[in-house]
Amino acid sequence: MKKFFSTALMRGLFWQLIGTLVGAGLVTGIRAIMGLSTTDTFFFTEPAWVLGAFFGVLFFLAGNGSVTDWFKWARGIETPEHHEEHYSGWEKYFNVSLDHKVIGIQYTVTALLLISIGGLFALIFRTELAESGLQFLTLDMKLFGQNGPQLYNTLMSLHGMIMIVSILLGVAGIINYVVPLLLGAQDMAFPRLNAFSYWIAVPAAVLLLMSLVLGGFGTGWTGYPPLSARAPVGVQMFFLGVWTAGWSSILGALNVIATVIRMRSKGMTAMRMPIFVWAAVATSIIAMTATQLIGLSFQLVMFQRLLGMGFFDPAKGGNPVLFQHLFWFYSHPAVYVFVLPGLGVISELLPVFARKPLFGYRWIAMSSMGIALVGFLVWAHHMFTSGMNEYLRVPFMYSTLLVAIPTGVKFFSWVATIWKGKLSFETPMLFVVGAIVVFLMGGLTGPPNATISVDLHLHDTYFIVGHFHDTIFGGFVFPFFAALYYWFPKATGRRMNETLGKIHFWLMTPSFFVLTLGMMDVGLLGMRRRIVDYDPALGFDNVHLVMTIAGYLIGLSVMIFIYNFFNSIKKGEKAEGNVWNSRSPEWQVPSPMPTHNYDQPFEVVGEPYDYGLPGSKYVEFIVPAAKSKHK
Amino acid sequence: MSHTQDKSSALAQGVVIFVYLALLTALEYFVAVTFDAVSILVVIAVIKLALVMYYYMHIYKLNEGAEGDQHSYEYKTGTMRLGLWLFLLSDAFVFAGLLTTRINLLGLTRPHLNQLLGLGVTSVLLLSSFFMNRGETAMAHGDKKGFMNNTIITFVLGLGFLFGVVLVEWPLAAKEGLVASFGDPANGPMGAVFYMMTGMHAFHVLTGLIFLAVVWNNARKGVYSAEKHWGVEAAAVYWHFVDLVWIIFYPALYLIGKLIG
Repeated sequence: MKKFFSTALMRGLFWQLIGTLVGAGLVTGIRAIMGLSTTDTFFFTEPAWVLGAFFGVLFFLAGNGSVTDWFKWARGIETPEHHEEHYSGWEKYFNVSLDHKVIGIQYTVTALLLISIGGLFALIFRTELAESGLQFLTLDMKLFGQNGPQLYNTLMSLHGMIMIVSILLGVAGIINYVVPLLLGAQDMAFPRLNAFSYWIAVPAAVLLLMSLVLGGFGTGWTGYPPLSARAPVGVQMFFLGVWTAGWSSILGALNVIATVIRMRSKGMTAMRMPIFVWAAVATSIIAMTATQLIGLSFQLVMFQRLLGMGFFDPAKGGNPVLFQHLFWFYSHPAVYVFVLPGLGVISELLPVFARKPLFGYRWIAMSSMGIALVGFLVWAHHMFTSGMNEYLRVPFMYSTLLVAIPTGVKFFSWVATIWKGKLSFETPMLFVVGAIVVFLMGGLTGPPNATISVDLHLHDTYFIVGHFHDTIFGGFVFPFFAALYYWFPKATGRRMNETLGKIHFWLMTPSFFVLTLGMMDVGLLGMRRRIVDYDPALGFDNVHLVMTIAGYLIGLSVMIFIYNFFNSIKKGEKAEGNVWNSRSPEWQVPSPMPTHNYDQPFEVVGEPYDYGLPGSKYVEFIVPAAKSKHK
Repeated sequence: MSHTQDKSSALAQGVVIFVYLALLTALEYFVAVTFDAVSILVVIAVIKLALVMYYYMHIYKLNEGAEGDQHSYEYKTGTMRLGLWLFLLSDAFVFAGLLTTRINLLGLTRPHLNQLLGLGVTSVLLLSSFFMNRGETAMAHGDKKGFMNNTIITFVLGLGFLFGVVLVEWPLAAKEGLVASFGDPANGPMGAVFYMMTGMHAFHVLTGLIFLAVVWNNARKGVYSAEKHWGVEAAAVYWHFVDLVWIIFYPALYLIGKLIG
């Protein structure tokens, strides 16, 4: 227990608390000198909370040791390229490590934790929705300065943003763990930046959760002004939390791009990279650039609240629609940040379990880049009803429909890869197939929303909620689980329990279909999203009850998964060899992977996905004797 | 690292580029006060950007160090150089967002600002870039003293820019009615836009100054050599990037559009 409290995680959290108090105290002191009010509903005043929260993040990072080496560099002290691992066992994962595999697991476990929290929030408000009328989130109740419906709004908003952050962390986890292994690199290009990118996400998550207890906010995850300009102080914690998590995403993505460009093995030309690497690059291009815009848009609202700058306040000549443009310039491409790695996982795993070459490798690679680039041009399709200039609608409708082309290329390739393959349905493959079907549902329900005339009816209804849950489950959640089942043996040397994995799949998938089809059903009939109650005369009670039950079943299936995940680390069936009979380089060496990855470097000598072609080889390890001959 | 140029011709190139940039800035100012032609200002700004990016920030060096042993200093420097440029690209999106905000909220109008002061601080920042280039060139040829002297000049000029904007321009603008905290219908959101754009840029100038102080101190300790001076190059490129942003922000705030209020 003592060991646990001295880990980098706990030290960071301790310093975050200190930093928050220091920053808030500083502002309170200055305000006292200036003769301004020093306390407010939530003890400190809003400027005090904001500076406190900001200081908290800085103190966390300084206090837990993730920036120590950079301070050494600034003083002209060199540090060894690779740190020796000071810790072993579980302690490794609670302390600052520069090993990309450790960081990948840190990311993944944090993502699972946040998914559980976000899912818990969803279950709370889904329970409230099971029946019309207010059941337990009533007007009389009071929690964290909010009554029932206000709490509903906060939970609903936080469900959205916490899930988004958890997806970003999950994506970063898989990419971090897998990409250097696929490239044959010892580590990421910038190991310290990598550790920093992970650790800055932890205080960000704390800030997000702080918003719940500081009065919450009822804006939804989008935080549109003018509503967000009037919400309680909790919305500032939400803005700052997202802004901080954004840096995690930006710097992590930068690292991925540099790693892929600079750290590839001998012979790994662009068209011989594993397909997942292409997806990682495409997603990183978006994350590295566009994320700045959501940061900026939230920052501007923060300044509007703190200093009265009227960016989005029409009374001061500002423009609320400008916020939506800045916001969606990131937040639409963001969904491609979520799904592109997942689609990459599908393309990566499908040939392994179909024992056939991946159909149309070049087209798949280019379609990832295509989705990323077209993704930059579609943001205003979220704003057809916002009152923006009418002439912007049609171009944005067509650019949005254009996304279907590269996405269609992917589907075509997957179907052609499955065609006449020797399929085997281990758990990862089940989730891959599930992902394809669910993402197809999400994909098909997309174009109606992109079509202006239909969108005017569907905007802000549960149809949209059903649509994006389909895309995110198909594009991220299912592939994420597939990737975890698939690479788990690589990380631990053991595999997860197959039976529990199959129960997980067969429980989650039908429940999920019931849930989202139900959402689309009531949505089409006019159910508003983001609302605590609905008129019983609409006749939605039964559907909502079924959806709530389905939601609980999904929650149960994820709990089974989490049990399986942690139980299998120590007790799973041993699996140290090439479990899936894959051609990929990381499976050619025994599991778990040693600290500095491959003992011998490898050279790429063939195509990555030539499954079933006799005698073909993807990688060849360079034996030390041959290496010394070259010298 | 290969030196295609000897020291004196590299320094001479820095002078020539500075003269071009100074002339273009003067032309920009002249065009703005006489024609009010935004398109010409855009063309001039793009030429200035290209000159700074190529000659002062030597973007072409991204092609260097693509081959060879991945554990060599050259290769690692190439990786870090790529990382720095990716960061600058990402950072550029913040400034692009602010520029979008300016265009959306102010359109073809501009705030009432002190033109002479604007031209003054712009010249100071441009001059600082010139000395930064001289400092980096000196270090690349092993001239530690030359680097340290030029960096001090850069630092002082950078500090001058920061004071000029924050301590002189901000109070002056406030007197003109550009107050950040409230806008009246006559001024619109000009105060908010002006203070946010200059403030975000000033923050980057401040971080650049800290960066310069760090590499100056490390140079004093003898950390850098003609072969190994990545820290110096990174500080220089970052400093030029700050100048790069101002190349856009200066006309966007001072020169384009019609005065109102």
